[in-house]
Amino acid sequence: MSILLDQLTKRYEGHAVVNRVSLEVAEGEFFVLIGPSGSGKSTVLRLIAGLNQADDGRVLLHGRDVTATAPQQRGVGFVFQHYALFQHMSVADNVEFALRVRRVSTHECRHRRDELLELVGLTGLGRRMPAQLSGGQQQRVALARALAHRPEVLLLDEPFGALDARIRVELRRALRQIQSELGITTIFVTHDQEEAFELADRLGVMNFGRLLEVGTPRELYMRPQTEFVATFLGTANLLVGQLTGGAVRVGSLDFPLNTEASGLGQGVDNQRVQVLCRPEDVGVARPGDHLGCSQLGLGQVEQKTYAGSFERLLLRLPPLPGVRPISPPVTFGDEGILIEATRTQDVARHYPLEPGDKVKVGVRRIHALVHPGLSFLIVTDGSPVASPVLALGGEIARLAHARVKLLICGLPGDALPEQWQAVKERLGGGLASLEVRAAAEPPEVAVAYEVERQPCDLVILGLSPQQPAESSLLAERLLRVGDYHLLLVPGTTAVPTKALVGVSGGEPSKEDVLFAGRFLRHLGAEATLLSVLPSAAAAGPYRDRAVRFLLDGVRTLEVLGVRAEMAVRAGSPGQEILEQLQAGGHDLLVLGAPLADRDGRRPSSGVVSYVLGKATAQPVLIVRSKYATSPVRLSANEGRIQVIEEMTA
Amino acid sequence: MRPAAARLASPAAPLQPSRWGRWSVRTAAISYLVLLLIIPLVVIVQDGLRAGLDGLWRSITAPQAWSALQLTLWTAAVMALVNAVMGTLTAYVLVRYQFPGRALVNTLVDLPLALPTLVTGVMLVVLYGPQNAVGGWLQAALRWRIIFAPPGIVLALLFVNFPFVVRAVQPVLQSLDRAPEEAAATLGADAWLVFRRVTFPALRLPIVSGMLLSFARAIGEFGSIVIVAGNIPLRSQTAAVYVLGQVESENRLGASAMSMAMLALAFSLILIVDWLQRYRPAPAAKTL
Repeated sequence: MSILLDQLTKRYEGHAVVNRVSLEVAEGEFFVLIGPSGSGKSTVLRLIAGLNQADDGRVLLHGRDVTATAPQQRGVGFVFQHYALFQHMSVADNVEFALRVRRVSTHECRHRRDELLELVGLTGLGRRMPAQLSGGQQQRVALARALAHRPEVLLLDEPFGALDARIRVELRRALRQIQSELGITTIFVTHDQEEAFELADRLGVMNFGRLLEVGTPRELYMRPQTEFVATFLGTANLLVGQLTGGAVRVGSLDFPLNTEASGLGQGVDNQRVQVLCRPEDVGVARPGDHLGCSQLGLGQVEQKTYAGSFERLLLRLPPLPGVRPISPPVTFGDEGILIEATRTQDVARHYPLEPGDKVKVGVRRIHALVHPGLSFLIVTDGSPVASPVLALGGEIARLAHARVKLLICGLPGDALPEQWQAVKERLGGGLASLEVRAAAEPPEVAVAYEVERQPCDLVILGLSPQQPAESSLLAERLLRVGDYHLLLVPGTTAVPTKALVGVSGGEPSKEDVLFAGRFLRHLGAEATLLSVLPSAAAAGPYRDRAVRFLLDGVRTLEVLGVRAEMAVRAGSPGQEILEQLQAGGHDLLVLGAPLADRDGRRPSSGVVSYVLGKATAQPVLIVRSKYATSPVRLSANEGRIQVIEEMTA
Repeated sequence: MRPAAARLASPAAPLQPSRWGRWSVRTAAISYLVLLLIIPLVVIVQDGLRAGLDGLWRSITAPQAWSALQLTLWTAAVMALVNAVMGTLTAYVLVRYQFPGRALVNTLVDLPLALPTLVTGVMLVVLYGPQNAVGGWLQAALRWRIIFAPPGIVLALLFVNFPFVVRAVQPVLQSLDRAPEEAAATLGADAWLVFRRVTFPALRLPIVSGMLLSFARAIGEFGSIVIVAGNIPLRSQTAAVYVLGQVESENRLGASAMSMAMLALAFSLILIVDWLQRYRPAPAAKTL
C-alpha cells in the first residue's frame, strides 16, 4: 500500500472535521477525494502532508508511520489551490527550491529543472516571474515544483478550482498524462464531479468529515450504497419503494431485484428501499407514442432546458401510492412527484416536447439502495421516569422501522447487567435493529459522544412531570450539543394519533413541517397546523399570509400521506399553543427548535422553554431545522461509551 | 492576468456632487493644507536662507551644530536597526503565536505613542540614573554611562519609536497567505529557511518603511532626550535640543538653519517611504 490512513480523526473546537477516515491507496493509483465544501476532504490531504496534526489515527506512507513526522520529512509533493508560488523568485528558482534545500549541485539542479519544465510544458519560461504568467501556467509551475524532489506521493488540493473551464480541461489532461508517465501515487481533492470522473482510477466521497464510499467512478455512479452518494454524483431521481417478494415495487411497477445491490435482505417482505433512477434511464413519450419501457405514470412536462449535447426535462407526476420522493426534494406546498429526465438531441428533434405537454413517463433501469430509515437514540437512566420512554420509544421505532440505539446513562458500573437487561425488556422486541450502550456520564455528555461516533435523527428522552424546570434545562442542553431532533416523553405510553404542529410561517417552519410529516406518517397520526398571530395582527395581510402558509403546509403533509387541518389563533404563542393542545385533544406537540439570537447564543426565553416549563402531559417533539444554530460541541474522547450489545434483526 | 488598469493607483472618484459642492470641498481641504503646513514651511525656508546658502552652510557646520547633527543621525540609525529586528520579532510573535496576555501586549505596543515623551525621559532617568540600583551597577561594574550619554539617547529613541516597525509589519504578516510557507515546508525547508526565503521577502518593504518612519521621527525627538541626555554641547546635545538652545540664546539664524536641515532630512525620508509603498509588488495570485 502506498498510502494508508487508519481511523484518521481531526477536531476543531471539539467538532470532528475528519471523522475516522480509513483508506488505502495503491502504488501508482490516481485517487480522487470528492465532497461538498466543508466535508473535510482538504483536511485529509493536509493531514497526509503533515500540515495539520491528526488528533487520532495514523498515516502510513509506503509502510512508514509518519503520523508524528514533520512535513519536511514526509517526502510528499503538495499542490495548492492558489498555486502558492514564491512570488519574489523566478519560475526556475521556484522549481529548484526543493533541490537547493537538499544542496543538490548547481549542474544537477539545472538539469532537473529543465526536465521538469519540459514535463509541464513550460520550456523556456524559467526566467519569468510568477506574476508574469497566467493562472494555468502558474499551476504548471507549482506542479513542477512539487515534483522536483521526486516525492513518493503527490497531493493536489483543488488545484484547478481557480481556473476557467477550458484551462481546467487542458490541465486535467496534462496532469493525467504526467501522473501515468511518472507512475506516482496521487490523491486529488475536488468538488467538481466532471473532474473527478475524468481523472480518477478510484473515487472516495466525503461528507461531514466521513468517508462514505470508495469505488471506481462507474461503481459509484451506477450502484451507490448511500443516499448521499447517489444524489451527490450526478443527477438522481430517488424514490422510496418497497421490496416485495424479491422484486422492487415502485408505484404499480415491479422490477426484478438487482442482485448486485448488496445489503438488501432477500425475501423480507415490505422492506422499504430507496430506488435510484438516473435521468438518462427515464423514458418519455407522448401519449400516442410507444414508450419502450415500463410505464410509471402519466405526467406533464414542467420545464425544458437545452444543455448542449442533450435536453433536460423536468416532469411532474401525480402522487403515486406508496411512493415518496427524496430527490428532487418535495417542495413545500407542492403536490406530486418531480422526475428529471434527459434525452439526446436526436430524440428531442424527432419527438419535440414543450412545457405543459402530457407525457407517459417510464423507467428503463433502476438501482435499489438499502433505505437507511430513521435512527433513534433512546436515552434512559434506568429510573422510573424512563419506563414510559422505553415503552413509547420502542413502539414508535417499530412503527417507523427505525434503527434504535439505547443509551443508558449515569449508571454505576456494577449495577449494569441486571439493569440493562430489565431496560431492554421494557423496550420490547421486533425492532429493525438494536444496539445497547452504556456510559457513566450525564445524558448530555454521553449523547454528544455517541452522536459524534454515529449521527442519529431523533433523540428520545424521558421528561419528569415532577421537575419541569430540570427537564427543560436538560432538553436545552441536549439541543445544544448535537444536530438531531428531540422527542420528550412524559408519563404517557400511548402512541400519538393527533398531533399539534406549531408553525411560525418562515423557512425554518417549512422544514419543521416536512420532518413532522415524515415522522407522523409512520405513526399513522393526523396533524393540525397551528399558527399563532400577535393580537394586533389578528386580521389583515399578516393573517392572509399565515393562512396561505398553513394551506401549503396542509397540502405538503397530505402528499407525505398525513391527514392535516389548520388552525389560527391570536395572542401569546406559548399560552395559545397550550390552550389549543387542551382544547383540541391533541396527544403530541411538535415545535421548531429555537433559533439563535444575534450573538449566536440560543435564547433561553422562547416558546419551547415556556412550553417545557409548563410540564405538559403530552410528548413534545422539537424539530431542528438547518437554521437552528450549529451546536456547541464537546470534545469527545475515545472509549467513553461502552458497547454492550449490537444486534440486527 | 490582472488588468493593467488595476495596477495604477487611480483615486476612486467620489459620487458626483454638484459643481459648487465639488469646488467648495476641494478649496476647504487645500486651503487648510496651505495655512497649516505650507506657509510655515515657506517661512522657515525663507528665514534660513536670509544669510544666503553660504551662511546656511556655515551655521550648520559650526562645530556645536555639526556635532549635534551627527549625534542625532547615528543614534537614530542605531535605533532604527535595533527597532527593525525587535519590531519584526514582536510583530511575528503577536501574529503567529497564541499566548495568554496577547491582547494586552498588542495594546501596550501603542503606549509609547500616547505617553508624553517627557514622561519617557523621566522613567529612563529613574531607572538608569547613577543614583539608582540599575544605573549605579552598570556604571560601577561595566563603566557604562547611560544617562547624559548617547546610550541614553538610543534607549529613549527605542522606547518612543517602538510601534513603528511593529505596526508596519503586523498587518502585512496578518494578511500574508500561509500557503507558500506550507509549500516550502513540504519541499523540505526547515522553519528558519522558510522564514528567510519565503516570509521575510514579503516583509522587507514594511520593515524598511517602518524603519524610515521611526528614523524620521527620531531626528526630531525632543522631550525624552532633553531629560535623558541633558544638554551637554559636543557630547549629548542632539539637533532638536540644539535648536532650543539657539532659540533661547536668540540666534535665530542658527535655529532656522538647523531646522531646515532637519526638515530636509525628514521630508526626503517621507518621500522614500511614500515611494516604497507605492511600488509595493502586486499581491499574490490569490486576488486574481
